[in-house]
Amino acid sequence: MTASTGRSTAPRTSVLRDIAHHGLFWPVVALVVLILACGLRSPGFLDIEMRDGHLFGQLVDIARNSATPLLLALGMCLVIATGGIDLSVGAVMAISLAVALEFIDSAADGGTLGTALMALLLGLGVALVVGTFNGFLVTVLGIQPFIATLILMIAGRGIAMLITQGQITTVTSDPFKSIGSGFILGIPTPVVIAVGVFVLLSVVVRRTALGMFLESIGINGEASRLSGVKARSTTWIVYVIAGGLAGLAGIVYGAPTMAADANNIGLMREMDAIMVVVLGGTKLSGGRFYLGGVVVGALILSTIERAVIIFHLPSETTPLFKAIVLIAVTVAASPRLRESMQRRRVRADLTSRAKVAA
Amino acid sequence: MAHTDTARTTPSEPVSRPSSSPQGSAPGGPLARVRGAVGRMDRRFLPILGTLVTLVLMLVIGQARYSTDSTNFISMRLFSNLLVDNSYLLVLAIGMTFVILTGGIDLSVGAVVALVGLVIAQLLIAGAPLPLVLVVGVLVGTLCGLVIGILVQVFDIQPFIASLAVMFLARGLANVVSVQSLGITDEGFATIAGWGLQFGEGSGLWRINSSMLIALVMLAIAFYLLHYTRFGRTVYGLGAGDDGSAVKLMGLNGPRTRVLVYVISGTCAGIAGVLFAFYTRSGFNLTGIGMELDAIAAVVIGGTLLAGGVGFVLGTGAGVLVYGLIQVLIAREGLDSWWTRVFIGVVLLVFVVLQRVISVRRRS
Repeated sequence: MTASTGRSTAPRTSVLRDIAHHGLFWPVVALVVLILACGLRSPGFLDIEMRDGHLFGQLVDIARNSATPLLLALGMCLVIATGGIDLSVGAVMAISLAVALEFIDSAADGGTLGTALMALLLGLGVALVVGTFNGFLVTVLGIQPFIATLILMIAGRGIAMLITQGQITTVTSDPFKSIGSGFILGIPTPVVIAVGVFVLLSVVVRRTALGMFLESIGINGEASRLSGVKARSTTWIVYVIAGGLAGLAGIVYGAPTMAADANNIGLMREMDAIMVVVLGGTKLSGGRFYLGGVVVGALILSTIERAVIIFHLPSETTPLFKAIVLIAVTVAASPRLRESMQRRRVRADLTSRAKVAA
Repeated sequence: MAHTDTARTTPSEPVSRPSSSPQGSAPGGPLARVRGAVGRMDRRFLPILGTLVTLVLMLVIGQARYSTDSTNFISMRLFSNLLVDNSYLLVLAIGMTFVILTGGIDLSVGAVVALVGLVIAQLLIAGAPLPLVLVVGVLVGTLCGLVIGILVQVFDIQPFIASLAVMFLARGLANVVSVQSLGITDEGFATIAGWGLQFGEGSGLWRINSSMLIALVMLAIAFYLLHYTRFGRTVYGLGAGDDGSAVKLMGLNGPRTRVLVYVISGTCAGIAGVLFAFYTRSGFNLTGIGMELDAIAAVVIGGTLLAGGVGFVLGTGAGVLVYGLIQVLIAREGLDSWWTRVFIGVVLLVFVVLQRVISVRRRS
């Protein structure tokens, strides 16, 4: 590598450069800048307090709002690692919430814990079925992931409308509602769920060979198959996981409102999830993936949304700031930009050496 | 991916001959003869054949179910209405075809349509002259496309992410312009939007209007650009999946073309924004959510492979007609509107599975 000539200075700068070259460097910088900006603008922003045994504060709200995009993006990240994409997750959110709420609506005793649990299981079950269907299209039929999941992205919302018969189903069930708005040991339930899923996935993916298999499939599916990786079933499972997590996200997101608005629940959330994965340093082309980066990405997303409110901007301008952060982080991490910077540095290095020699 | 590999072998016709001609000359019923004829045909046309079969099938179903003694379902009126209602989608899909042929994607077009509509409405309310307003409207789209092109070509960002960023950008800007629906009352604007030639009488009445003409002219221009120019060959070459090395070896300007396809798609989105404003006589920041997916679906139903390099812009035209016909059939059947999305999904599913089966057959 030509870059090594530029690394011949003191070891301390090389450590700094390693940090700067880490995939998570720019996302973390973006997150810290955003939080500091909010903290300066609104002094109480960083405070977290206990009230009635529950955690309260702006940061807690951000963590709570991160849960939905985090759940979606964790599944998306695994799919992207295999070189695929799942565009259907937003529609899956709508479907699973519609199924869960329709069940509670039709049940005789809507308010009981049993009904709520059954609704949760049904919602998740439908989401898993959808994920299985996506995986079938991608692995067995060999359809490109973009198109395969586009089918349900377009049709899924129609299916959710069929389930709710075109109505916005509203129910009352306190146990179900608490999935989205309750607390466990003082921590908001969505945060507990999201962190639990993150820890579970991290352990499964990094403590077993699964993560490595996923990355090898993403880099070269055919080569991994030839070297003994069960590429088909592994890829299939990943779509099932993504579907299930999307269903969970739909229930967590929709539970506090208790209303299944099939047209709007999870609308364009798949794009947010993909953005979160990319912000976390994972490349859309597949291969290396960073589940930790997904957490940072999800926090960035909900911090942007919160920052718009704190800076007293109209909430409709949020997409604008998402665009700015997305462009800034991807351009900063762009290999092309880094290459040209390095070339410039090497050239400067060479000319300065030439001057010393002369 | 195996999918793209098989697609890429399509232009090499001679390879197909040994395997398909014995099949064609083999003794057998009419089915074998049809199979032989399909085998002898240039295989690039197979996907578009599927589109045409779908189109004819839907027309036949419509003709059988909705014709009365006095009026036929298949009529100039039907096609005229299809084009009037879907002219903006056709223009979007034409631009999208260029991008998809290079193996890219443009997710920004729906948001750009909303932004352009609002910019036009706001400028007209401010009293700017109409020609200037229309040009500025289209240029807003061009600029959005240029930003994507630069992000993709210069900074090596994947088209999906680059266009996603511009989608957020355009949607955010549209929200900044106005969060309310702005009506367009300008007289000149209404004159252009309402212009049309009428033919026939009574229930056979059909017309040609301005947005339909613009869309058809765009289709003709796109056809010429893709099939009769150096630029068009470069577009197909970039879709070969070799990162433009073949294009480079042939001495074609790959980098410039890659930027230009996004500029074309953005410009098409700008024009579509104008057409959509003609259609609705207003600008609204929530229009066009998911419109980019309609355009992508129309392109795919039109037989263009998302992997790039294979497809025809005329197929895209047929894809848009299929799309419009689904809506017509659902409406005639009296089903609720959400059935439309389910059916479009089903058609898309059947279509990609068929494409897949065809390409597997070709490989074996």
